[in-house]
Formats: sequence, structure tokens, C-alpha cells
Amino acid sequence: MDTNDPMTFWQLMAVMKWPLVACLLLPPLLVYFGLHIIRREVIFVDLALAQVATLGACVAILFHFDPHDWQSYAFSFAFTLIGAAIFTLTRMKEHRRVPQEALIGIVYVVAAAGGILLLNNSPHGNEELKQTLVGELLYLQTPGQVLMPFALFVAIGGVHFVFRKKLIAISFEPARAGLEGLSIRGWDFLFYALFGIVVTTFVHIGGVLLVFSYLIIPAVCANFLASRLMPLLAIGCGISTLGSVAGIYCSATFNWPVGAAIVCVLGVVLLVTALAAKLLQAKPNPTAD
Amino acid sequence: MNTIMKTNSLIPFLKRRDAESAEKRGVSLSSLRCFATSAPLRLLVAALFFYGATAQAKLNLVVTTPDLAAIAKEVGGDQVEITTLARPTEDPHFVDAKPSFIVKLNKADALIEGGAELEIGWLSPLLNGARNAKIQPGQPGRILCSEGIAMREVPTVLDRSKGDLHAAGNPHFIVDPLNARIVAQHLADAFGKLDAKSAEKFRANFDKFASALDAKMVEWQKTMAPLKGREVVAYHNSWLYFAEGFGLKIEFFLEPKPGIPPSPAHLAEVMAKMKETNARVVIVDPYLNRQTAETAARGTGATVLDVAQFPGGVKGTDGGYIALMDYLVNSLAKALGEKK
Repeated sequence: MDTNDPMTFWQLMAVMKWPLVACLLLPPLLVYFGLHIIRREVIFVDLALAQVATLGACVAILFHFDPHDWQSYAFSFAFTLIGAAIFTLTRMKEHRRVPQEALIGIVYVVAAAGGILLLNNSPHGNEELKQTLVGELLYLQTPGQVLMPFALFVAIGGVHFVFRKKLIAISFEPARAGLEGLSIRGWDFLFYALFGIVVTTFVHIGGVLLVFSYLIIPAVCANFLASRLMPLLAIGCGISTLGSVAGIYCSATFNWPVGAAIVCVLGVVLLVTALAAKLLQAKPNPTAD
Repeated sequence: MNTIMKTNSLIPFLKRRDAESAEKRGVSLSSLRCFATSAPLRLLVAALFFYGATAQAKLNLVVTTPDLAAIAKEVGGDQVEITTLARPTEDPHFVDAKPSFIVKLNKADALIEGGAELEIGWLSPLLNGARNAKIQPGQPGRILCSEGIAMREVPTVLDRSKGDLHAAGNPHFIVDPLNARIVAQHLADAFGKLDAKSAEKFRANFDKFASALDAKMVEWQKTMAPLKGREVVAYHNSWLYFAEGFGLKIEFFLEPKPGIPPSPAHLAEVMAKMKETNARVVIVDPYLNRQTAETAARGTGATVLDVAQFPGGVKGTDGGYIALMDYLVNSLAKALGEKK
């Protein structure tokens, strides 16, 4: 295809309308969760929770539900809650030599392998499941596909806003929260349950690579440049938006798969930010931060 | 204006449309409807003229897989512009979606698909975005190649656990040249309906292709005749029609069920059967796991042969459908001949 033709570019952009809207509306909540996740040092918990949700869908398939049935979503959700419980219970068990990250990794691989075993007898089961649960941004072509998840994200963001003091405290200052008598277990469970829903929903829309990138890369970039929550969030959202727009522009210009284009653009942005932060840091005083 | 005249000449198949609305149609192609919301107005106007001037000259075809595209090319000749979505080395069940696919579908005069659910997983979400009335199911612009094919392995009961994912039957029908002939004829008819002025040409192209195919068929059957009844092992059950067309037996598959990776026990069972039936050739498509095939071959003294259903899927098959079948027949005959 002749990509120099302006016609073609605008036509491609027209096709990208809803993917672009999705990439502008949805990532801010992911960035916000990403800031929590980085502070908690549980970077891969999103992949683990998404995999646990997928395991739920596998069980639903064994019970002869279609992956699109509401029962499958119910199974996914129930398994996400189980995953949330696991991560809640393992957080405070501060073992000296076993970090929680190791347990997260284990949950991920066991859930993935469990899914393979469960679908062992279902033809094309694994691929079909991947295709059903792992989304493709380009397939977002109707308003409902974007606005329904957005409504869900707004609702979850609302819960976070209402309980912001407690939810922020347990992520950013768990020791103080504990001293103040906050039920860390309870709030942790709520945190992971909401997080599980957000991650599973977005994996369904944009795929595993993209959800991980939106969670972690803007939050890491922000942490290079700021330390307080509001600036972190503002920088993170700015970077995710920049990544979305530039990624979709590249996708339309070079006819690249959308998700991968955004991920790579975010990677480049991280590189630039890290270099910029290094330069900024070198000048004023080395004791900053 | 010339453009609009040309457009009018394509109109006869668009029943119940008077010349005036047809004239409008020439410059307000459906693709521009969604485009209009995002593009600057000036570009849009410029684009309208540009678009009208180029797009109507030939039939604009989007084809899902390269095998059907090769046949569409034979029949359509230079009266058609072809875009193929799947690459020849790609698994046709799973194709990576690219932005251009939706635009191509949006601009297409016709969509040619296998029609047996092979592409169902990735084609239907793309069609949601294409918003093209011409290629909706039931329209003359939606061409299902499986129509007129005697489909095999059509399940009587649909049960996911049995591996009956393809409700329309085994979708890999094109590797039987007789089926390719049927598809070519079907395409010639369908193209003729879309572009009545070139119908004669399509018919002539078909005749040419069919007689080339018929002549080749005699040659291929002659090559394969001494090998009738020989056992060949495949990775995936995509060679049923080929086996039936040439009197081979392809009954054992490296995967226990479609899409399920081979377990050690299943592999051992296949290897035992290979020894039992003297199956000495294992064929494997480019997107399947060649290592599994090599394992099975090593244990039984068999040869692994790279094959493809799509022209261009293996080296030396880029020339089109006949080149592909030449490769398949000759390389298989050679491999079977070496291993008695």
C-alpha cells in the first residue's frame, strides 16, 4: 500500500477513530494503578491476575459455556477475586528470602499451565481463548465497545476517589496505615479486586502487552521526574496520551499492528525521559530525591 | 465526468437504481462516510475526485487467503485489483490485523473468502469496521468459494469437545485441483455479475485456466499413479482433499486434535502407526511446528517435507496455483519414491 498518499493516511486514521478514543479515555486509570503497583513493587501482578482470570474462562469452557457467555465472565471474575485474595494474603507475610514478586511469577506460570491442561481436550481451545480474551485494538469499531469499558473504568475510578485516603495509604505508606489501625488486608483485597477487573477488561480490549505497557511505562517515566502523587499522575497521563497518539499515528502511517506500535513508542518515550532525567539530575544537586 | 460515465457502465447489476442516484454513488463511496468525520474538508474534496478517478476502473477485490487470490488472479486477469489479507506463510486460522485491512475492505467491490469458517476468528471483527454494504453476506460482492464444493467432514452434531469446530466441514478444500476448478468457475460467474461488461473476458480467462489445469491434472495423476494408496502423515488435518484427489492416504496427524499440541503419548502412537503402515513421509505447513515432525521422522526413518496450501508458502511456489500444485505433486512423488 502506498503510504505516502494522504488519502490513505486519513482513511487509515478514520479506521483508527475508536481505537484512538479508547487509548485516550482508558489509560489514565491504568496509569494511576501503575503508580500504586510500582510503589508496591509488584510489577508483574497485572499479568498474573489476567492469567488467573483466563483460567476462570478455561473452567467456564469446561462447563460448556461459550467464552462470550456471561457465565464465562462470572467465572473470570470469581477467579480474579481468588487471585486478589492470594496477593492480599501474601503481601504481609514478609519472608526474608522469598519476595512477593516470586509468588506473583509462580501464580502466573501455574495459571497459564493450568489453562493449557484444562483445555487439553478442547480443539483450538488455547488459541481460541487467546483470541477471545486477548483483544486487538483495531477491532474496536463501534462506540459501545469503547464506552462500556469506559463507564466501568469511571465507576472503578470513582471507588478509588471515594476511598482515596485509605487506598493511597496502603500502597504508599503501609507502615503508617497499619499504625493508624487501617485494615490493610481488607483494603488490599479491594485494591486487587478492582485492579483485576481493570486489567482483565483492558486485556480484552488491547491485549497483554499493551495493558502492561500502559500500567508500567508512564508510571516509571513519571517517577524519573517527580515524587508526589499528583505530579506523578499528571506526567503519567501526559506520557500515556503522547504514546497513544504517536503510536496510532505510526500505526496508520506505516501500517503496523496498533498495539505493538503503541508499546514501542512508549518504550522510546521511556528512553528519552530517562536520558532527560539523567541530564537534569546531573546539573543541580546530587542529593535531590 | 469521464469517471462518472465509467461508473455508470458498471451499474447494470445495481438493480433499482436510476442513473441519477448512480451518479451520486460514483463520488460518495461508502468509505468516505467514516472518513468525513476526521479529515479536513479540503482534503476530503480533493480525495473524492482522486478516488473516483482511480477506483472504478477495475474490480477492487479483497481476498482472505493467497490460494483464493491466485485463482482470482487467473480469472480476473487485468480487470481486477487484488488485495490478499493473509500472508502465504501465516496460519489462516489466525491472521494479524493491520489498519490497512479495514480500509481495503471498506473500498472493496467484493470480498472473496473460503466460506467454511476458516477465517472466522479474524475476518468478522474486521468487517465490523469496514462498513461496506457491497460485501455484506448475501450481496453479490460477498463471494464464498465453498459454494458448489462437496464439503467433507461436515459434522452431524456440533460438539466442541470432538474437534468439530468447523461447522461447514473441513475448510482446506483448495488443494484438490478439481475443487480449484469449481472455485475458478464460481469466481468467473461472480465477477461477471459484478462487472457485466467484462463477463466475457472472465469466462475466457476461466476457460484458459481450466484447460491448463485439466492438462496439468493428467500429468499430476500420471506422476502420482504409482503411489496410490501410500500413507503420508500430516501435522494438521488440512490435506484431506489433496489425499482424496490423488489417491493417497493421510489418516494420521501429529496433533491429536485440531489445534492441540502433540502429547508424548500421541506422538508415540503416531510413530507406531507410521511403522505399521510404512508411512515414510511427514508433511508440515510453514506455520506449524517442524520440530515435532522431525522428531516423528527421526524415530521412524521418514522424511519431513515442507508443504503449503498457499502459493508462496514454500520456495518455488510463488508462480500461482499451478506452480504450487506442481511443487506439491513433484516433491511428494520424489519423497515417496525415495522412501519405499
